[in-house]
Formats: sequence, structure tokens, C-alpha cells
Amino acid sequence: MSRQTTRFDAKKVNSELLTLTYGSFVTQMLRDYENVDDVNKQLERIGYNMGMRLIEDFLARTSATRCLEMRETADKIQNAFRMYLNVQPTIANWSAAGDEFSLIFDNNPLTDFVELPQDLTNLRYSAILCGCIRGALEMVQLEVQCWFVQDQLKGDNNTEIRVKFIRRLEDAIPAGED
Amino acid sequence: MAVYNLYVFDKYGVMLFYNEWNRLKKSGMTQEEEAKLMYGMLYSIKSFVGKMSPIDLRDGFLYYKTNKYALHYLETPSGLKFVISTDTASINVKELLQQFYAKVWVEFVVRDPLWVPGTPVTSDLCKQKIDEFIKQSPIYGIKNI
Amino acid sequence: MIIYGVYIVSKSGGLIFNHDHNIPRIENEKTFSYPIDLVLDYDPKKVSVVFGQKDGINVGHVLVSINGIMANGGTLEDGRDVKAVIEDANNYPLNLKFSRPRMTTNEKIFLASMFYPLFAIASQLSPEPKSSGIEVLEADTFTLHCFQTLTGVKFMVIAEPHQTGLDILLRRIYELYSDYVLKNPFYSLEMPIRCELFDNKLQALLEQVEKGTTALIEK
Repeated sequence: MSRQTTRFDAKKVNSELLTLTYGSFVTQMLRDYENVDDVNKQLERIGYNMGMRLIEDFLARTSATRCLEMRETADKIQNAFRMYLNVQPTIANWSAAGDEFSLIFDNNPLTDFVELPQDLTNLRYSAILCGCIRGALEMVQLEVQCWFVQDQLKGDNNTEIRVKFIRRLEDAIPAGED
Repeated sequence: MAVYNLYVFDKYGVMLFYNEWNRLKKSGMTQEEEAKLMYGMLYSIKSFVGKMSPIDLRDGFLYYKTNKYALHYLETPSGLKFVISTDTASINVKELLQQFYAKVWVEFVVRDPLWVPGTPVTSDLCKQKIDEFIKQSPIYGIKNI
Repeated sequence: MIIYGVYIVSKSGGLIFNHDHNIPRIENEKTFSYPIDLVLDYDPKKVSVVFGQKDGINVGHVLVSINGIMANGGTLEDGRDVKAVIEDANNYPLNLKFSRPRMTTNEKIFLASMFYPLFAIASQLSPEPKSSGIEVLEADTFTLHCFQTLTGVKFMVIAEPHQTGLDILLRRIYELYSDYVLKNPFYSLEMPIRCELFDNKLQALLEQVEKGTTALIEK
């Protein structure tokens, strides 16, 4: 198959290229939008659109089946971070009802070299990750909320993303049937 | 051995792709009507299977056979539905569909930045890759007419 | 081989006979503390698990009882509302019992009449000329074999997946049907089959088949 020829070898692409591209991408957006809130929204949205496509790659590569409980979902998200960003977040802080958990990162490749200026403390620099999780899960019929609780960029000890289950989406029904 | 046709639907029932090979009989409907009928039938089979199953389902519906053809079905957790009709002797069709998903659909459709999710595949490259994949598959064959 | 059930559908698409043979009862009980870590759908007709399956309590299972008190849809037998009981922290720990829903007779009749159009559409959508309807339908948990006689009666057997020899079994059931149903002068065509002799013979046949496939061929 032509797959091998068209595909980048993951080991050979320098990850700093991603970090630098993402950095200049965010700063360019800040210049274009002139409003931090809008940039946060857009980053989340871009992530969402990526997640919607990335999930197919994930499913095809891992031949994962549909998740029917949140712990399974958490494991798969953890696995996906390892596959695509080569980081291994820790899963922690489960809520009592088991519908909410945190992903805790020791390091975040997107934020290597980044120092957040004083006037941009509202910027959710890595919001793209939240969007990605939300988009990917929505494609597998799970509606979640996803947000940053801690961020090393803002002087916290860890980077922590919280994921909360909202509801299971129903399968679509063909027109004219019920 | 023969492959007759291949449908890809998204989770909303939109037909993203259709092509046929060695197909002898037309149903006498437009392609659009036929796709709707096909999706409706699959939807009903799915709910039929869900109710009929004596124990909890995992993958659900896999295939059905008539005396002339077999229809194999693969649904991904993201709701994509791959449907292929073959002759009744073809084996390992499920694996073939899985490979199709991983090696053709994800590589050439999902990663195509110009493809908008939820719309039919229009890129010639994708179509060509799909055609190549089916023609190279072990179950593809030209039947004597 | 395990046979789950036999269905006979008349020419006009109505269910005229069904026999549940060996359907496992799937039930699970568990004591929960507050808050409950299952996501439930509170429908007035039934309370079912939507997400968060664990310990054998799977998505799709329906609430049977709370602390041994039977649940009748969204209300308990003692008149309390299921949702109110489950959401009140003071009631915990709670013992909940769930089971995989079993088909009611009405659902069976509905499903049988649903198979009829599926059968016809499969033939209509055939890429090859002169196709029959569905003969085998396979899912990961069961296989359904359907045999349509020239007169339009459909016999269906539901069994474990990957079974062979079911075609022969269907033929044998057809023979039993023609012997003990059609030859019975008090049976009127298209009507539900209520013939004790047929029930007994069918039961015997299924048991024989489950013991080993050789019995089929010997006749």
C-alpha cells in the first residue's frame, strides 16, 4: 500500500517544530483577534475540529470499541495522549459518582519555551487540547465538558484538565422512521 | 469470489461514498432512493438485532446472507457504517472492512483537509485509492457472465 | 449447540408460533452508596442504565427492584417514585437489582412483523438477479436462520453464533409443522398455533439437537 510512502515517520519529525508552530499560531491569533476571550474560543474550536477527525484515526489504529463507562473512556484518552503527544497524563481526582475526572500532566509539549506575559493571564494557551477531547468524544456519542483546572504556565504545580460527563447522545434516526 | 458494491454512511445516514463493481442487477431506483432504503434497512436490522439478542451485544449485527449475495456490515464507535455486498462464499470480509477503515478511509478521506465531515467524498485521489483497495483485495474477482 | 428460540411467521407476516428454548436470565444485584455511579434514564415505563456499566450491570439493563421492592416502571410497588428514592442521599445504602430486559409477547409479535419487510428489502437491494430474502443473519451474540417454504411460511431459529446444521433443523421443524399442525383438522390456517402435540415434538427435537448434531442426520 502507499501508506508507508505518504506517512511521516513519527520518530523523525522534530517535536519542537510542533511547539514552535503552535506558539506562533497562538501569537498570530492574538494579533488578529485583539481579544483574549475570542482566541480562547477559537483555539477550543480548532481543537474540536481536530478531535472530530483524529478520533477516526484513533479508532482505526487501536480498533477500540465503544466505551460504556467513564473509566474506560479515561483510559482511552490517556492512551491517545501517549500516541499523539507522547505524554502520559495521570488519571486522578474521580468524583464520587464516577462521572468526572482529571488528567494531570507533568509536562506539556505545547508549552515548552513558553512564558506567559502578565497581561495575558486569561489566555488558555493549550485550550486546543480541551477542544480535541470534546470533539473526539462527541463523535462517539459522549457529550463532555472539558476545562483547565491548573496550568503550569500560570505558576501551578501541574497542568490539570478536568473532564466531566454530561450525557450520552442518541444515535441518529433515519428520516421518516421512529 | 466477487465484490458487488460498497456503501459508506455517516452516523446521520448521509451516504458519504458509493461504488459498484461487477454488479449485475439494478434495483430500478435512483442511487439516492436506494441509499435511503439501504440505510433504513440497516437501521431496522440494528434495532431488530438489539431486541432479539438473548445476551448483551458487543459488535451487534455482522452480516446477512441470501441465496445470491452476502451483505457485511461494520460500524465504528464514531457511527461510520461500512457496508459491502459480496458473493456468499467470501470470507474474512469483516477484517477487510476494518482494513479499509484504517488504511483507506482514515488515510485518504479523514486526513484530506478539503473534505468536510458529513459530506460525500468528491476527491479523485480518494476514489482512486478506494477502487485500488477493492480491486487488490483477495475477494475481488470478475464473475463469468 | 445452544438453541435460543424458534419462531414461525405466517404468509401474511403475522407471528403464529414462538418458543423460547434456552434464554439465559441475566440479573445482577448490587449495593450502592451515595451518589450512585450509574447514569440512569428515568422513563415512566422503565428505568434503564445509559452509561457507566460495572459489575455485570450493563448499559441497557432495566431496574427490577430497590431493596427487594419491585419497581414497576418509574414507580415502586409501594407507590414511591424511583427517581426520588435514588436521588435522595438519606436512603443510602441502596440495594438495586437490574436485569437485561426480556421480550414481551407484544414485542415478539412486533419483531416478527418487522422481519418481514427486512426480508423483502434484502431481496430488492440485491446486486444479483433473482435473490431470495435473508437466509442467515449473524450478530456477535446469536445467529438467525430463516427458511421460507414455497407457500410463504417462514421458520426461524435463533441459536449461538457460528452454528452449522441449522438448515436441517429448520427442515425438521417444517416436517413437524406439516405433521402436527397442518394435519390437525382443528387448526385453521394463519391462526396462532396451539397444538400440544406439536409443542412436545418440537421440544423433543430441540433437546435432541442440543445433545449432538448426529441426531439430525439420522432422522
